[in-house]
Amino acid sequence: MVVAILSNVCIAVGLVFLLWGTWPLLGKRSVLFKLHSLSVADTLGSMAIVVGLLIRIPREWPLLVLALISLAIWNTILGYVLAYCSTEGRTND
Amino acid sequence: MNWIIGTMLLALLVPMYVAFDSQHIWQKMLAFASVSTKSSMLILAISVLRDDWTIGVVGVLVLCVGNAALMLLAQTIKQVDKW
Amino acid sequence: MIWYLELALRLIIWLLLTADLSWENIAIGVVVSLLIPRCTSTRIIRLRDWFHAGWESLVAIPQAYKEAFEIMLRPHAFEETTLEQVPPRRTPGLIFLDIFIITFTPKTIVTRYHERGWYEVHWIRRRKPE
Repeated sequence: MVVAILSNVCIAVGLVFLLWGTWPLLGKRSVLFKLHSLSVADTLGSMAIVVGLLIRIPREWPLLVLALISLAIWNTILGYVLAYCSTEGRTND
Repeated sequence: MNWIIGTMLLALLVPMYVAFDSQHIWQKMLAFASVSTKSSMLILAISVLRDDWTIGVVGVLVLCVGNAALMLLAQTIKQVDKW
Repeated sequence: MIWYLELALRLIIWLLLTADLSWENIAIGVVVSLLIPRCTSTRIIRLRDWFHAGWESLVAIPQAYKEAFEIMLRPHAFEETTLEQVPPRRTPGLIFLDIFIITFTPKTIVTRYHERGWYEVHWIRRRKPE
């Protein structure tokens, strides 16, 4: 019972993050600003959803833990690479 | 559990629309990065829902390979821009 | 000195991938993680620095969620770019970890790393920066 509630809370928080962070993509802000909100949506939101799924069905934990780790690392590094590449033209060092 | 899949599909439609609509290359890349993560999350959620772990492996692979490919593509675009 | 940490990391990833704790599989995992070429760094890395960094990255997770809620509840509409100094005596591995932690928290993104010890950090703020 507690497990089901906890899992639902995690998934709900993740879904809210996902929707909130994806919405600014439609606006006319800079790439970096959108990257900030995507880091909320894609990294943190997806991690919350995976944790929720993990609590619900712990039987296949190795796969979900691997998903969690690769989500955190790949998304963050991709954010850095996108930020680095997209600001190339504007600054000279 | 169906509401989870529905909401995630809704969230997936937004970056897809942006990717087709936007003219600026980095906005497009951003949208594709978002599509890559969201679709793999969708696959993972469906695999949990159907209790079929071969689908889950595909989701994790899409997560890793998709992000790595976008990273390489970003570097390539930057180099091409320099010329 | 640091090779066994690297070995352990690879072995963990292997075991998570295969989800099989039999002796044969662990043996295969050890062989595979020994066969993958190691990244060699010439400088000596102190173990204490690594534990510190590991602790920092654990703390970064709740910190990231806290910042996410802050951004959602109060709009952070302004952007700013600052230069942050790298702490002295950082090895490439630790610098990578620093960049990872800064980018992981949603209010800050590293956009560039300068060779002479500076990060270029992009912030979002609530108020207009002076």
